[in-house]
Amino acid sequence: MKQFIENLKQNTGIRNLMIFLSVMGPGMITANVDNDAGGIATYSLAGAHFGYSLLWSLIPITLALVIIQEMCARMAVVTGKGLADLIRENFGVKITFYLMLVLFVSNLSNVMAEFAGVAASLEIFGVSKFISVPLAGLFVWFLVVKGTYKSVEKIFLIACFFYVAYIISGSLAHPDWKFVVKQTITPQFQFDIHYIIMLVGIIGTTIAPWMQFYLQSSIVDKGTSVEEYKLVRLDVISGCIVAPLVAFFIVVACAATLFQTGVRIETAADAAVALRPLAGNYASWLFAFGLFNASLFAASILPLSTAYFICEGMGWEEGVDKKFSEAPQFFGLYTAMIVIGAGVVLFPNFPLLKIMYLSQVGNGILLPFVLIFMLVLINNQEIMGAYTNKPAFNVIAWLTVIVVIALTLLMVVLSFVFPL
Amino acid sequence: MNTKFFIYFSEILGKTVRDNHNRRAGRLCDVGIKINGEIYPKAAQLVLKRGLFIKKFAVIDWEESVKEVGDFIKLKIDRQQIEYAPKRMNCDFSLCRDILDQQIVDIDNHKVVRVNDLHLLRVESHLYLAHVDVGTRGLVRRLEWTGWVDRIVHFFSPHSAFLMQEDFISWKNAQVLNLGRVKNVLRLDVARQKLSQIPPIELAEIMGDLDKVEKGHLFRSLDVELQRKVFTDLATAKQAELIDQLDDKESVSLLENIPSDEAADLLLRLSKRKARNLMKLMETKVSKKLSKLLGFSKDSAGGLMTTEYLTLPQGALVSDALQKIKENTDSPGNIYNIYIIDDQNHLLGFAPLRNFIDADPQLPLILFLDPNKIFVRTNDKMEHVAVLLEKYKFSVIPVLNKEDVLQGVITIDDVMEELISIAWSKYKEKL
Repeated sequence: MKQFIENLKQNTGIRNLMIFLSVMGPGMITANVDNDAGGIATYSLAGAHFGYSLLWSLIPITLALVIIQEMCARMAVVTGKGLADLIRENFGVKITFYLMLVLFVSNLSNVMAEFAGVAASLEIFGVSKFISVPLAGLFVWFLVVKGTYKSVEKIFLIACFFYVAYIISGSLAHPDWKFVVKQTITPQFQFDIHYIIMLVGIIGTTIAPWMQFYLQSSIVDKGTSVEEYKLVRLDVISGCIVAPLVAFFIVVACAATLFQTGVRIETAADAAVALRPLAGNYASWLFAFGLFNASLFAASILPLSTAYFICEGMGWEEGVDKKFSEAPQFFGLYTAMIVIGAGVVLFPNFPLLKIMYLSQVGNGILLPFVLIFMLVLINNQEIMGAYTNKPAFNVIAWLTVIVVIALTLLMVVLSFVFPL
Repeated sequence: MNTKFFIYFSEILGKTVRDNHNRRAGRLCDVGIKINGEIYPKAAQLVLKRGLFIKKFAVIDWEESVKEVGDFIKLKIDRQQIEYAPKRMNCDFSLCRDILDQQIVDIDNHKVVRVNDLHLLRVESHLYLAHVDVGTRGLVRRLEWTGWVDRIVHFFSPHSAFLMQEDFISWKNAQVLNLGRVKNVLRLDVARQKLSQIPPIELAEIMGDLDKVEKGHLFRSLDVELQRKVFTDLATAKQAELIDQLDDKESVSLLENIPSDEAADLLLRLSKRKARNLMKLMETKVSKKLSKLLGFSKDSAGGLMTTEYLTLPQGALVSDALQKIKENTDSPGNIYNIYIIDDQNHLLGFAPLRNFIDADPQLPLILFLDPNKIFVRTNDKMEHVAVLLEKYKFSVIPVLNKEDVLQGVITIDDVMEELISIAWSKYKEKL
């Protein structure tokens, strides 16, 4: 046995894999948190109302995601600073403050959506939201106060694995795979206002401002050296591929069943319920379980990371190992997000859809600033040294950012013209 | 004429600059500072900006051109004399670029803080940097919210600390970290003097709060002795991060100065290529020692041991031993035991200082050997080492190879460190 382990250690392939596993985490987690309650709702709606006709958009989205996230990862490894830190140091306190304010509001409404996702998914299993939501809130709080980064990261990586539920659920729906593949690789467009809104919505939920902050901070926290950068990039790229893959199966599950029969849905939980008569109990349960996993996962990460980068940018004390009196702003923000986020879900008739709409608009306004700041920062030689964008990459990056910005602004405009 | 002695940097930043004919010359966009070890450094340059879409910049000398700092900044010179350039020229050290919004070390309170505003002393037309504002009040002032925030706070609590107190750090107690941009200007001896007031263990903790680039800069500004102390107080993971920031020469001189067991642990954390590279650059004596240590697994006696210990030949006298100890009081290793070896380096025994400190200096040292002939082998497990140390109440134990040749010694703190980390991780697993 000992000899066997020694042999394993000698094998360079396995050694490299072990090194990769030790660096892996931030990229995978960020990309998967992206498929949160809001994301799943958007993909379900896309599948249920437009069938396979939006699948092609996932390929360019993946590319854009890779290009944007790679820049964050590079900045994290080279500067060892979070994005909020860098923005504060290079663009001043005023801009940082307003950026953080909008980020707080839009993330707070995201947290509400996550707790609503927990409530809705567990109600499918017959658990009252007055039990599930307070418990979920306690769990989130407990995880952070009692856990260390390492143990928490392990739990998060396991949560990433549970997204397999959607892949199985998609397969249980028995789609016509040949047709699915054909639709995925042939771009198409419909001049229908609802189609455009949906398309822009998918981009908006997949490329969100908070991700850039979270990814950069968590790579910095891990303390990766420039030498290990290749592995970090691999982690980021695999995350950026896995997340749209999950989205792909969600769209397929809904398209193969709900679209075929013309069922209209409004939320992800609706989709889970509607799947039951069409694809069977298991597919429906898996769909609901996936929603629960994703909501809880995102609810664990969003409040903490928001509190972190706001304190980082404003220069307040931060960190879960501090006492409340040492870091009042940090704990105040963190607690407020959980209490408000979980609390409003328990209110009867709370206008959740309106709030989610608000959060989408907030994200849409924020994203152009964040992306442009990122590009300015990454091309600053004083900060990045030899690791600025190469000219060719820069052209691609700017083009991507301009397209994403144009589409997001379109989404903001559309949301005003066609509210809900 | 404004009679306030102190003004905030945020109050004059962006102010209109007018020339001697009261014509607009631009807006103030930065102030260059001359740092030469004075307690309150003086403003040396004025950075101007003009134009809305096509921006032009100029840097002019403060002493020669500024007449008055008030509601606007008045110059002594004609604006025709100012040379504008499309690209901003950088001063050696300027308030906006190098201090405002950056992190600094608060020497008094031993922590890292972010700068919200600067407090300047105004004497006639001169400005001096007096304090660094790190408080919430500074933040509110930067957002230009002071008016209504003050009114609200005053309404609820008229004697609130927010209204009365400023959170200032005197410039002499502040150490700028962003030395990367300004390394040629900041006088290193000044930084050193400031930082040497902080105990090494606190400095190590401060380093934990910094990002890796700043870590490197802060570390470089310490003297060699302090570097060694701070470095040994850092966790191994942080040490590796720091080595990443230092160039090869700096890393090598550091590795040669810290205890060899710590150096070996550190080399193990680095990538193979880097470790090999550093070993090549080291003194042969040191690299030989290290490569020996690197050959052992981390939790074996060989991996735990250090090669810093004192040896004497068989015929040595007590006086030789005392002399040897005196010569090595600065050595990082254990000096309370002398190991007696024959000419093939076989261990004959060890003489604890306690046994011979009062003895006649002319007696042979070999009379004072410890009666217990305990030792461990290089491949013995750490648990075994710990049990022996506890059983005989030793703080050091020699390590021999199969041929009884002395390889190194293990001190109890090295074992403790490992055991604590094991116990800690077990404890965490239980949670």
